[in-house]
Amino acid sequence: MTRLALSVNGVERAVDVPAGTTLLDVLRDELGLVGAKRGCGEGHCGACCVLVEGRSTRSCVTRIEEVAARPIVTVEGLATGDLLSALQEAFIAEGAMQCGYCTPGLLIAATALLARAPDPTDDEIRATLDGNLCRCGVYGRVVRAVRRAAGGAR
Amino acid sequence: MSRLEDRLRIEPDGTIVAYSGKVELGQGIRVAFARLVASALQVPIARVRIELGDTATAPWDMGTFGSLSVRTDGALLARAAAFARRCLVERAAQRWGSTTEALVTTDGFVQAPDGRRQSYAELAGAAPLVGEIPGDIAIVRAVGVVEAAPDERRAIVTGAARFIADLQVPGMLHGRVLHPPVHGARLLSVDDSASRAVSGVVAVVHDQDFVGVVAQRTAQARAAIDALVVEWGASSTTAATERRLALRDDPGIAEATAGATVIVDAAYELPHVANAPLGPSAAIADVHAEGAVIHAATQRPFGVRDDVARLLGVPPPRVRVIAARAAGSFGRNNNGDVALEAARLSRAVGRPVLIEWSRADELRAAPNRPRLAAHIRAGLDPGGRIVVWSSDIVTNPHVYFGDLAQLPDQLVAMTCARNAVPSYRLPAAHIAVTITPAVIRTAALRSLSAAPNVFAIESAIDELAARAGLDPLAMRLRNTDDPRLVRVLERVAERSGWAQQPRGAGVGRGLACAIYNDTYVAQVAEVEVESGPHVHVRRAWCALDCGTLIDPDGARNQIEGSIVHATSWALVEQLRHDAGRVLARSWDDYPIARFHDAPTAIDVVFTDDGVTAPTGVGEPAAVPFGAAIANAVAAACGIRVRTQPITAQQLRGSGG
Repeated sequence: MTRLALSVNGVERAVDVPAGTTLLDVLRDELGLVGAKRGCGEGHCGACCVLVEGRSTRSCVTRIEEVAARPIVTVEGLATGDLLSALQEAFIAEGAMQCGYCTPGLLIAATALLARAPDPTDDEIRATLDGNLCRCGVYGRVVRAVRRAAGGAR
Repeated sequence: MSRLEDRLRIEPDGTIVAYSGKVELGQGIRVAFARLVASALQVPIARVRIELGDTATAPWDMGTFGSLSVRTDGALLARAAAFARRCLVERAAQRWGSTTEALVTTDGFVQAPDGRRQSYAELAGAAPLVGEIPGDIAIVRAVGVVEAAPDERRAIVTGAARFIADLQVPGMLHGRVLHPPVHGARLLSVDDSASRAVSGVVAVVHDQDFVGVVAQRTAQARAAIDALVVEWGASSTTAATERRLALRDDPGIAEATAGATVIVDAAYELPHVANAPLGPSAAIADVHAEGAVIHAATQRPFGVRDDVARLLGVPPPRVRVIAARAAGSFGRNNNGDVALEAARLSRAVGRPVLIEWSRADELRAAPNRPRLAAHIRAGLDPGGRIVVWSSDIVTNPHVYFGDLAQLPDQLVAMTCARNAVPSYRLPAAHIAVTITPAVIRTAALRSLSAAPNVFAIESAIDELAARAGLDPLAMRLRNTDDPRLVRVLERVAERSGWAQQPRGAGVGRGLACAIYNDTYVAQVAEVEVESGPHVHVRRAWCALDCGTLIDPDGARNQIEGSIVHATSWALVEQLRHDAGRVLARSWDDYPIARFHDAPTAIDVVFTDDGVTAPTGVGEPAAVPFGAAIANAVAAACGIRVRTQPITAQQLRGSGG
């Protein structure tokens, strides 16, 4: 077992896990943060995305040793108290979800996008989010939601 | 026969609780039901709570499929709410010695002209509201009290929403089951020594062809299942008989064909496709001495209850199934396989067990849409009217695994033959479905055989139009008298500017339509055949008549999603197998539509007359869109593609 210090959603956490445990398993099984989903476990679908130092990262293929001491933000950490982020509000306003399984990963990927490109074009949005799968097919609504959030921040 | 006390309750704080055995899978029925109940009782939607899919509280229900929830249970809940309102008004009238006609309801109160008022909760507090829900009760649709319910969306965007695999039950362990490489394969031998040595492993459960592991943590269960050394034999499933059903068997087919001036004789074929939910299947079972509690992402809570009860040898009421939040699964969760697996493991270890399938499990071992091949020979008279329609369809069963000869006609018609008969005037028709056993597991998938059947029909209609030199819209209008079908066709033509559509340079538009479970839908696809070559669906238009709209944005969302789903089938999806051994292991092997595949713009228009009873929207828009794409490809580059997915080879004109 390895003892590691983590910073998750602004809180310092210590975990004891076997070496090589994935960040996703630590979040879900050790810390009870189940917003990031175990959709494929192979880094293909994007449902497990979390922010690591502000970058959208596939937690299911990230070993926990790689992220020790680096700030991690999960979907549970996007709001400030009861105050939702502009993207969260925009997803609600546009109804950019059906079952909602892919939504946490999409919110994380879009948060990272807007942090580096505050006013992206639709093509940029689509290209950046292309690695996040949605089986319900709400892609068009997600593009509108990201655009709405970007507009609000302008 | 439905009783109010089984369907609706008013709590002391005024909350209206309504019960249904249907389940929410992202299709939005919780909001639609809440709107119906709130409207009929004239209360704000925030005061309504919809309890779905718990066998301990909901009346028996067959399952959630066929875009029927709003049409059937939604309508029943609306009648229940209207009946409750009538009962409350009668109680108030009795208390105040007034007539019911003099009283009005507003915002959860019954009110008299003199200003006296009592809340629903006070009125209901005296005695429970009971009675047979009248079949013919008038539903007053309230205006202005039904706003959107944001709680559901808020739970999703904050990560608070708990999907099945996110649930924790006290004392819960983690299980995995090893699935055979071919459905029904016999388990010849198991060496579990390495598996038992994995840290945290509680048990390896081996019973005939079933082998699974239980561990403290999910990663340990994964490691333990990978450490099993097993030898599989041949499949034990015996080849079932074929089954044939004639849907139309009119006399005079040969004469009518001989008399036709334009004939199309073409074969269309659709492959197996996977339901492939983004969230792999999961269930929690807690088997105890008297029965079990099951948390399952199922479309059939009562079916799973009966299946688990049979496995455990207990009466069904001893098993409680609670429907958990599921990723959109489009029919895959009609099957309760993972709940049964969890029940076997929980029974063995005497503790609650969560099973999460892996992505590879989901692709290799889950059931899939049957193949379908349709050979169509159809003919027109000189006026462009269909004079003969002959179709021989070969497919697999969707939801039935026993002896195909025993399959009831009605079930064949509802599944394999869904939309096999074109929605046009057919003076002479021969339409027959032959059902052959599938070598991989099969399941219902969004509209069952309707999307494949309509792909064949609506492609053939365009081929007929092309041969006759007719515009595809005129061709369809000439062959129907149904005013609702005419209306959606005319509306989609109008919205898309069909008459002035752009042509040439590899861009084309295609039209297709269908009547699916009494919902009318007409669609136009605009495609561009890009270098590669590959097809890009640029835009989509959809006109849809689902009777009275209950939740306009929810309906629009379903229609957009259906169009993306159908685009995915048309362009990228195909589940390959080698003699029953499914070859896909990951999303790399089984691509689905991504952001760049989805139409950039989807225009949806409803032809709601405000009078006709509501029908479904979850599936209909997925039905004709594949043909709209194929028809658009033919318009764009002159190549008729009669199979899905559309390949580069076909676009190069070299078939395949």
